Amino acid sequence: MSSTTWRNVFTYNKYTQIAARALRQSLKEEERVAAEKRGQTILRYQKWENGQGGQQVYLNPPEEKGAPPKSAAV
Amino acid sequence: MLARRTLGRLAAQPPVLGAAPAGARNMATLREIELRLKSVRNIEKITKSMKMIASTKLNKAQRAMVAGKQYGVANAEVFKNAPPEAPAKRKLVIVVSSDKGLCGGIHSSVSKATRRLFADKEAGLEPSSPIMVIGDKSKAQLSRALPKNIVLTFNQIGRDIPTFADAAGVADLILKSGVEYDGIAIVYNKFLSAISYESAVVEVETESTLKESPGFKAYEMEDDVTKDLAEFALANAIYAALVESHACEQSARRNAMDNASKNASDMISRLQMQYNRGRQAAITNELVDIITGASAL
Repeated sequence: MSSTTWRNVFTYNKYTQIAARALRQSLKEEERVAAEKRGQTILRYQKWENGQGGQQVYLNPPEEKGAPPKSAAV
Repeated sequence: MLARRTLGRLAAQPPVLGAAPAGARNMATLREIELRLKSVRNIEKITKSMKMIASTKLNKAQRAMVAGKQYGVANAEVFKNAPPEAPAKRKLVIVVSSDKGLCGGIHSSVSKATRRLFADKEAGLEPSSPIMVIGDKSKAQLSRALPKNIVLTFNQIGRDIPTFADAAGVADLILKSGVEYDGIAIVYNKFLSAISYESAVVEVETESTLKESPGFKAYEMEDDVTKDLAEFALANAIYAALVESHACEQSARRNAMDNASKNASDMISRLQMQYNRGRQAAITNELVDIITGASAL
């Protein structure tokens, strides 16, 4: 096995998420649909400086451009 | 029905010289009571349906919690056998709450626990320790109490059962953010029973504290693998906390909506009594007027 260069690029958590995604996509149709739900995240985060919040950023940006964001950024 | 029509006729009659129309004030009060009754009935319907929804969500959330807690337990095992040499001074405090309200005291319980952590002189937590908040409600509360400490906030978690993908995303963002800390404390709500919860703190060690711990040094682990373990342990702990807090939130929302429905139905019966009494009083007044008028003829 090639000596692990992935550690320079991303964390172990990302590594497991990629492996999990590969596994989910390899399942039979019915099980795949159920498993896909377990892998979804619509996480948004916001950096704070000095008591002020910055811009809200999606971790996985949604595909449709037309959908307006539901929550108001504080 | 009858009362309202006769009231209308009464108001249409020219008022007696000098006296205010006797039915006018009663009619305004009756109309008000009727409107209030209608709105409280609507509120009762809404809170009842919210309670039903929260009960069904609670069942699902509890099952997910039982499964998710195993991650936290496995985590705790490692840290129990490899305790840190010295207690951390500069801890990263991760506060777990959610974006939605109407769930009783869930968010304020976690915010209060965080403020207690910072106010506690004995524990010796550095006052400039960074805070990261998951959930808009606690973010709003803590941005008023400890605004300078907040470094990162997350939202859109907790709409549905939290997934490990959520927890892994949060853990990665924390690790990438480059914030400095010696230890991590996760503040969340512990599920005691379907009607009670309490805030709790779970400690997670960083890679460096793990490496220095004598219990860990007994095994000669490669640095790479230790880093993986620390990262994975953080994601595990966050996942366990997220799932348990989610279950607490659903149970608190169910209880809150249950209380609200009970209060609303109490209010409805009280208002109904008031309305009936007012209606009967108006009818009686009318009758008295008519009879006095008839007796004068």
